[in-house]
Amino acid sequence: MTSRTAITTLDVEALRRARPRSTLVRVSVLALLALVAYAWLGGDIQVEDLFSPRRRENLERFVTTDVVPFALRGTDWNAAQYLEYARGLALDRGFSGLGSTLAISVLAIVLAACGALSLAFLAARNVATPTPFGDRVLRDSGVRSRAWNALAVVVRAALILLRAIPEYIWAFLLLAMLGTSAWPAVLALAIHNAGILGKLGAETVENLDPRPLSALRAAGGSRAQIAWLGALPLAANRFLLYFFYRFETCVREATVLGMLGVVSLGYWIQDSRAKQYYDEMVVFVALGAALVLAADLASAIVRRALRRAQ
Amino acid sequence: MSNPRASPDARRRPFPITPRIAVALSILVAGALAWMVLDAPFAKLVPQEGGLRVVRAFFARALTPALDYESPVPESTPHILMQALAAARRTLVFAAAGMSVALVLGIVLGFLSTTAWWAGDLVGGSSPLRRALARTVGPAVWSASRALIVLMRSVHELLWAVLFLAAFGLNTGGAVAAIAIPYGGTLAKIFSEMVEETPRDAALALRGAGAGPLQVFFFGLVPRAGPDLAAYAFYRFECAVRSAAVLGFFGFPTLGYAIAQSFENLHYGEVWTYLYALVVLVVTIELWSGALRRRFVA
Repeated sequence: MTSRTAITTLDVEALRRARPRSTLVRVSVLALLALVAYAWLGGDIQVEDLFSPRRRENLERFVTTDVVPFALRGTDWNAAQYLEYARGLALDRGFSGLGSTLAISVLAIVLAACGALSLAFLAARNVATPTPFGDRVLRDSGVRSRAWNALAVVVRAALILLRAIPEYIWAFLLLAMLGTSAWPAVLALAIHNAGILGKLGAETVENLDPRPLSALRAAGGSRAQIAWLGALPLAANRFLLYFFYRFETCVREATVLGMLGVVSLGYWIQDSRAKQYYDEMVVFVALGAALVLAADLASAIVRRALRRAQ
Repeated sequence: MSNPRASPDARRRPFPITPRIAVALSILVAGALAWMVLDAPFAKLVPQEGGLRVVRAFFARALTPALDYESPVPESTPHILMQALAAARRTLVFAAAGMSVALVLGIVLGFLSTTAWWAGDLVGGSSPLRRALARTVGPAVWSASRALIVLMRSVHELLWAVLFLAAFGLNTGGAVAAIAIPYGGTLAKIFSEMVEETPRDAALALRGAGAGPLQVFFFGLVPRAGPDLAAYAFYRFECAVRSAAVLGFFGFPTLGYAIAQSFENLHYGEVWTYLYALVVLVVTIELWSGALRRRFVA
């Protein structure tokens, strides 16, 4: 450019032509657009049915009758009376449901973190080698190298499998095997989140600055020492950020898993749904939303503090 | 803070309790407390008679998923692999439809819930009207959209589905809305956070050249945050596929429906067939998303 003001259309055109382009991105965008068009036009989704007279009647009955507490039906809307009703439900079942929902998610995320912590290092390509952070020249390409590589691949595949299956399906399967207790919900959340935290942890370890770890290696540190005393402290903040991020989702999911029959808030949601007591159901759903909100807030505060400490 | 050298006291102690270690310890204590609150005896971790039978029968089929139905079916029923493919297709369709609405909601609400369009140095003009707008309409719309986002995302997609089922009855549009609402809220939250954290140099330059707030936002801020936004949206698509699968447990014709049906009929081989279909679907999308992210962010 010759002067600050003389940006000609030619320059802009040249810049436009020189922009980075990727076939993968283009094909992906087209594929996604086609998928969305197919989803809406393929006949699987009947949106207009939502506005049919029958649906409208349903909705009207739901809003004007079903969600109104049984004792208050036919009376004028009174906020104080409604709050009194909601308070009664919360004290009766809601708060104990909230307590177990929270406990399920806390225990699950702690177990998930323990599992992920041990698997993350095995899945990290810079730790799972015969000479972690060692000299590249010394890296042998023989059996040991291939064995470590195979281990990392197996751990990665296991992590993918753990997280590919949703919590709800894990809980559904585990419930049939373990019977009713809190464990199916706890384990389902722990398994799925171990898969996610393990992957995120492995990526964190792979992206660590290798220099301090190579120094440990050069000073004669073993693999376990490098991982435990070198990589873990360096990655700790990131690990904790991910931990609290997944804790938020755990609280959301723990509410819902109760619908399968574990006593969390979801149990009471499903219970009132089955009885068609929609007045109760709406209160429990709102309680669940309040819990999610509280957990989000707590987690956001901790994460901000962690980020500042970084 | 985390550096022991920062505090001479910490260095003298053999095991310094830094804030990070304190957080880690309290996490473990919280886990132990949670276990005591719950009805979760360790004995319950071992399957009992009935459960043990299920475990054996279920895992016996892990490597031999059903390639044919395990009980007689009507003549007209398509082959089980076609059935799995069709359920996977519907799962994908629900996820894509839900995400397309969520994306629109996320972009609109994400824009409204940033401060960039009404407060701070990105907003041009110092006319009294502009300033009055910045003091009244801006904060009002901003807080309203943030409240809406919170409402949308604090209710889980399955609970939205349950609410829509109660309000409308079984309807595919309800499933799409159940995904679109919480996902739209989450996308809006993350989008606004990403945009707020984007370097503002380009936006300020546009502002200096006389661009309006909308132009500053969409040409100065969004392109800088673009790769991150796209990567996150695609990650949510992956989550939407899982959510769509689970919606099947509530009667929608996705993979979850097939899994629940076969499991309840004790056709464990069929369960594995559908589970593998789900795994293949999710892993394919995850690999795709990973490849895109590397292209975008690196």
